[in-house]
Amino acid sequence: MKWLAGAGIVLLLAATVAHGEDLTIALSQPEVRIDSNFTGTTIAIFGVIQRNAATVSRSQGYDVAVLASGPLESVVARRKDRILGVWANRAAEAIVSVPSFYSLNTSRDVDALAPPSLLAHLGIGFRYINFTYGDRDAVNDPAAAEFRDAYIRLKSQSGLYDEQQGGVTFIGDTIFRSAMRIPANVPVGRYTVGVYLFSGGAFLAKASAPFEVTKTGFESYMFSIARSQSLLYGLGCVALALVTGWLAGVIFRRD
Amino acid sequence: MLIYLPIAELSVNMLIILGMGGAVGFLSGLFGVGGGFLLTPLLIFSGVPPVVSVATVATQVVASSASAALSYWRRRMVDMKLATALMLSGIVGTLIGIVVFNTLRALGQLDLIVGISYVTFLGLIGGLMLTESVRAILNARAGRPAPLRRPGQHNWVHRLPLKMRFKRSKLYISVIPVVALGIGIGFLGVLLGIGGGFILVPALIYLFRVPSNVVVGTSLIQIVATMAVATVLHAVTNHSVDAVLAVILMVGGVIGAQFGARIGQNMRGDQLRALLGLLVLAVAIRFLTDLIATPDERYSLSLLSGGSL
Repeated sequence: MKWLAGAGIVLLLAATVAHGEDLTIALSQPEVRIDSNFTGTTIAIFGVIQRNAATVSRSQGYDVAVLASGPLESVVARRKDRILGVWANRAAEAIVSVPSFYSLNTSRDVDALAPPSLLAHLGIGFRYINFTYGDRDAVNDPAAAEFRDAYIRLKSQSGLYDEQQGGVTFIGDTIFRSAMRIPANVPVGRYTVGVYLFSGGAFLAKASAPFEVTKTGFESYMFSIARSQSLLYGLGCVALALVTGWLAGVIFRRD
Repeated sequence: MLIYLPIAELSVNMLIILGMGGAVGFLSGLFGVGGGFLLTPLLIFSGVPPVVSVATVATQVVASSASAALSYWRRRMVDMKLATALMLSGIVGTLIGIVVFNTLRALGQLDLIVGISYVTFLGLIGGLMLTESVRAILNARAGRPAPLRRPGQHNWVHRLPLKMRFKRSKLYISVIPVVALGIGIGFLGVLLGIGGGFILVPALIYLFRVPSNVVVGTSLIQIVATMAVATVLHAVTNHSVDAVLAVILMVGGVIGAQFGARIGQNMRGDQLRALLGLLVLAVAIRFLTDLIATPDERYSLSLLSGGSL
């Protein structure tokens, strides 16, 4: 047992000697509020790479990836085929628990940050997102690749999936910033911003910060009432319609 | 001026939606139709999800039909017994309709069936309207009187069993076709977001020979009732009625209808019907091209849980 304890002490020493960088980040806003004139917003992310005397010197500069991902969602992706001259949905694939929002900003090409195995492990880059399917056992099953590609393409078109190479800029050697676009159709829920620090293909440090997307005021009230008190909401809509109709009759009465 | 729709979960230009409601309201005032069959497609074409469009137009139809129904009611131009029979069967139709609607939605075939139904119904009704009105216009040009229908004329509808007397309409007819018509209109109302007046009124006139002084009032009562039930069913099962969108459409529709009605009084009936026929056909053709043209994007996503699209 003695040699084991000795090895432990050596490891501990190694950890303190080869001291890694510390990463400190800040978001410009901890919360995105969706109100009646919400047309999207931008969140700025600032980061500082902290070194001290014990930090090993790096022969290559730093690379940073800023990844924001949103609440998980499950969807059905469908493909239209021509049947009897009409385009109709035929093949379908259920995609389970995939981020509803995925925005990646990097200081250089994603592939140049780190080897593929490391990127896959960290989930950095569209192609390394874990896709699980409703009726397939394997993760990222190649048989469902067309639906996965379609999902990423459609999400990119609606602005919910985004990859910006060069979206992280260094202000000094150790200070960087990034701006992330939040579109108007952003789903509500809890989001996480993960900042990954690389140098020469090696992963050095990670820092993360959460932010919340919420509906506020009237919008939030309507949305939750429509779901939790749906009967009341429905009856309210009918009452509103009847009153509007009656009012119109009174105002514009010609006879 | 952008406004966020809390249920549809998207920002729209309020003035465009107001204008859309106003334009459809204008046409519905001009032609004396509900306008649901124009408003639902317009919303779908402008990017509002079909589920929300269909449900929200149901609410809008309640408002636009209620004000007209009220004025017919005041003038006692309603056959309440016939309206009740249609209403009760209409509610049964909406219940069947909502089950079919939700099943189709789960299968991902809702858009297809809505599209095919619109092409079929609008194509048929628009075609009939156009040929009938063009014939009337040609007859008027040639100076021939329009062919008259004799009120005593009977057809197969009058030979069915289970007869019932509708005093106000001076009718003694079987309830089977009445119930079938009510169910059919309620079903289509939920499925397609239309009041169904453009099917109900001709059916009441030509099949049942309901006198023209009560036909519009009676059908309006049935439309208000079934669309009110449709609104509640959509709200409870799909949470897809957008109250903000509905209010904008109602305000636009109500104002537009007043202008439409005023202009409509100065136009001839056959010309109005020909124009309406053309309009209905145009919407049908738009749906048809969407069905048969190769789509730009063959893939689509629909949400099971969480997030939003």
